[in-house]
Amino acid sequence: MREGENCERMLPVGFCNTWPLVMMLIHMLAGVSYATASISILESGAFLIPFQSAKKSSTTMKADVRRQRQKRAYSPMLLKGIRRLAPILTVLIIVIIWQGIYTAEVYPSFLIPSPASVLETFVESVQDGILLYHLSITLQETLIGLLIGVAIGSSLGYIIANVPILEDLLSPLIVAFQSTPTIAYAPLLILWFGNDIQSKIVIVVIIVFFPTMMNTIAGLRAVPEGLRDVFKVMKATRWQLFTKLELPAALAVLLVGLKTSATLAVIGAVVGEFVSVNEGLGSMVAIARNQYDTPLVFVGVISLSLLALSLYTLVSFLEYYLLRWRRFGRT
Amino acid sequence: MIKRIVIVLLFSVVVYGVSIAQDDLEDERFLLTFVPNIQFSPLYVAIEQGYAEDAGYNLTIEYLNEPDVVDLVAAGQANFGMVSGEQVITAVSRQRPIVYVYEWFQQYPVGVVLDAASDITQVSDLAGKRIGLPGRFGASYSGLTTLLTANDMSERDVELQEIGYVAPDVFCTGGAVDAVVVYLNNEPLQIQLRADAGDCADVESVRVFPVAESTDLVANGIITSTELLERDPNHVSAIVMAFDHGLRDVINNPARAYLLSEAYVEGLPLSDELREALNTLADEQDAFLADQPTREDIIASRSAMLETLQSTIADPAELIQFQVLLASINLWDADQLGYSDMASWEAMQTTLIELGSLDDAIDLEGIFTNQFVDETD
Repeated sequence: MREGENCERMLPVGFCNTWPLVMMLIHMLAGVSYATASISILESGAFLIPFQSAKKSSTTMKADVRRQRQKRAYSPMLLKGIRRLAPILTVLIIVIIWQGIYTAEVYPSFLIPSPASVLETFVESVQDGILLYHLSITLQETLIGLLIGVAIGSSLGYIIANVPILEDLLSPLIVAFQSTPTIAYAPLLILWFGNDIQSKIVIVVIIVFFPTMMNTIAGLRAVPEGLRDVFKVMKATRWQLFTKLELPAALAVLLVGLKTSATLAVIGAVVGEFVSVNEGLGSMVAIARNQYDTPLVFVGVISLSLLALSLYTLVSFLEYYLLRWRRFGRT
Repeated sequence: MIKRIVIVLLFSVVVYGVSIAQDDLEDERFLLTFVPNIQFSPLYVAIEQGYAEDAGYNLTIEYLNEPDVVDLVAAGQANFGMVSGEQVITAVSRQRPIVYVYEWFQQYPVGVVLDAASDITQVSDLAGKRIGLPGRFGASYSGLTTLLTANDMSERDVELQEIGYVAPDVFCTGGAVDAVVVYLNNEPLQIQLRADAGDCADVESVRVFPVAESTDLVANGIITSTELLERDPNHVSAIVMAFDHGLRDVINNPARAYLLSEAYVEGLPLSDELREALNTLADEQDAFLADQPTREDIIASRSAMLETLQSTIADPAELIQFQVLLASINLWDADQLGYSDMASWEAMQTTLIELGSLDDAIDLEGIFTNQFVDETD
C-alpha cells in the first residue's frame, strides 16, 4: 500500500490505479513473459486494492474526497493533454505502418523508400537550400493568390448578397467555371499569363475565389433580419451596418471559408507548378520524379502537406482570436 | 430446316473456335508516354496487322508519364514500355532493374529551331541569344546541352528561357526568344505551317540545328525488366519482333500506317478526300514494294507520296499529321533497325553527368542489349 501512496504522490491521479497494467504491458513489450509480468502485478499489491478500500478510516475517506475533487480537476486536463498529443500519435502510427510496409517489402524500395531515407533526404535538401527555395516560391504564390482571391471573392460575395439579381445573372457562369477542373484549363492560363509566378497566382485566385464568395454570401444572409431592422430604426449608415452588424455576424462563416481557401490555395499553386515545371514545390516533386529520386518526391509531398497544415492552423488561430468574444458569451 | 440447323451449328463451331483461339492469347500491356499520336503508329500497325496476335499476345496500349512507365516496368507491373535513353540511365542509376532492348529512334529527335532569315547560321552564333525550352529537365535540356558542348559552348554562353510546352506559340509571337528547343518531327512543321499562313511574326521559313548532327545520343526505345529478360527471353523477343514488324511496315508504307492509326488517334485529320488519296497511295506502294526496292528508292517514294498529297489536298493543315509521320520515319529509319551502340550510351551518360542529373558514371554494359535486334535481321 505504501507503494501505492508513493505512486499517488509522484504521479497524476488516475495513473496509479492502472499502473500495474501498464507495468505488465511494458514487461511484455520488453520481452518478459506474461507469467513474469503477472508477478509484477502481485508485487505491486494492486490486487489488494478492492479489499483494503473496504477497511478505510474516516481520515482515508476525507483523503478520498480530496482525491476525487483533484480527479475531477485533473480529468479534463488529462483529456486535453491526450487530445493535444493525438496528432503526434497519428503521425507516429502512420510512420510505423509506413516502416512496416517498407520492411515487409510490399513494394520495391524504389517505389516506397524507408522513413529513414526520406528523413535523410529532407535534412540534405534543407542543408543545400533546395527545399527552402522551392518552399518560398510556393508560399509566395499561395499567399499572394490567397490574398487576391479572398479580396475578390468576398467583395463579389458582398455585392451579390446585397443585389440578388446579380446572383441570378452570374451564378450559372460562376458555377460552370468552378465545376471545371482547374487542371483542364491550367495550360491555357500558363499560355496567357506566362510561365512565371503570375500564372500560378491566377490559378490560386480562381480556386480560392469561389469558396470565399459562397461563404460571404451565406454569412451575410445569415444575419438576423430583426437586427437589420434595429439598425435601420437607429438610422445606421451603410458603413456602420457593415462594420457593426454584417461583418461581426458573418465573420464565423467567412473564416470557415478562409480555412477551406487556405488549403485549396496550396493545391492551386501546385497544379500550376505541375503544368509548368519551373520552380516551387510542385516543380520540385515533378523534377524529382523525373530523376527517379523517390525520397525527394516524398519530401516534397510531406512539405506540401505541412505547408497546407500550417496555413490552416494560422487561420484557426486567427479565428480563435477574432471570435474570442464568443467564448465569453457575448453576441 | 435441317439445312438451317446445320448452318447455325457450323457458325457456332466457328465462333467458338475463334473465341477459343482468342482465349489462348496472353494479355500484354505496352506502356507509352505522351498521348495517342501518329508518332506511335508502329505499335498501332503491329496490333492492327495482327503481328502481336501471331506472336500469341493480346496487346493493349496505355499512356503514362515517362517515370511512371519506367517504375511500372521495373516493379514488374507491366512488361514493356517505351522511354528515352536518358531516362534509362537515370533510372538504372537509381536502382530500377530495367533493360533497353530496342532502339526505336535511331536519331536523337531534339533540335534548335530559328528564323532562317536571322543572323544565326551556325550553332556558335547562338552565343548571347535567347533560347526557349520547356524547362531545365528532360530530353530538350539534355539535347541542348549536348549541342552546345559539341560546339565548345555551355549554358552560360546563351540566355535560357523556360517557356513550358508552347514553343510554337512563343516563337511565333515574335521578339520573346531568338530560338526554341523542339522535337524535330513535330514543332518545326507546326511553326512552318504558321509561317506559311503568315501567322508567325516575320518568320517566312525556319532553320533547324539537329542535336544528332553534333553527337549521337541514345533516344527512345523499348524497355523491359531484367527479371523478365532472364526468366523468359522468348516473351521479350516475341514483342520486340512484333514491334519491329510494325515499324518496318510504317517505314515502307506510311500511307497504310496512317490509315491504320485512325482507330487509335482521336481527331487524326482524315477527310474523305484524304482517305481516298491515302488508300490509292497505299495500294500503289504495296505494288511498288513487291518489286523489292532499295532503301533509297523507298525514301524517294515517301517524298513522292507527300508531293502527290500536296497536289491533291488543298488545306495544308490537313496534311500536317502525315508530315509529322514522315518526319518521324526519318528519325527511325536506319540500315539496322533497333540497334543501339555503346558510343551513344556513353555520350548520353557524359551529358547527364555534366547536367548534374547523374553523380557518377554507371556500368553501361548491362543497361542495353542488341540480342533481339540480331534476330530481326
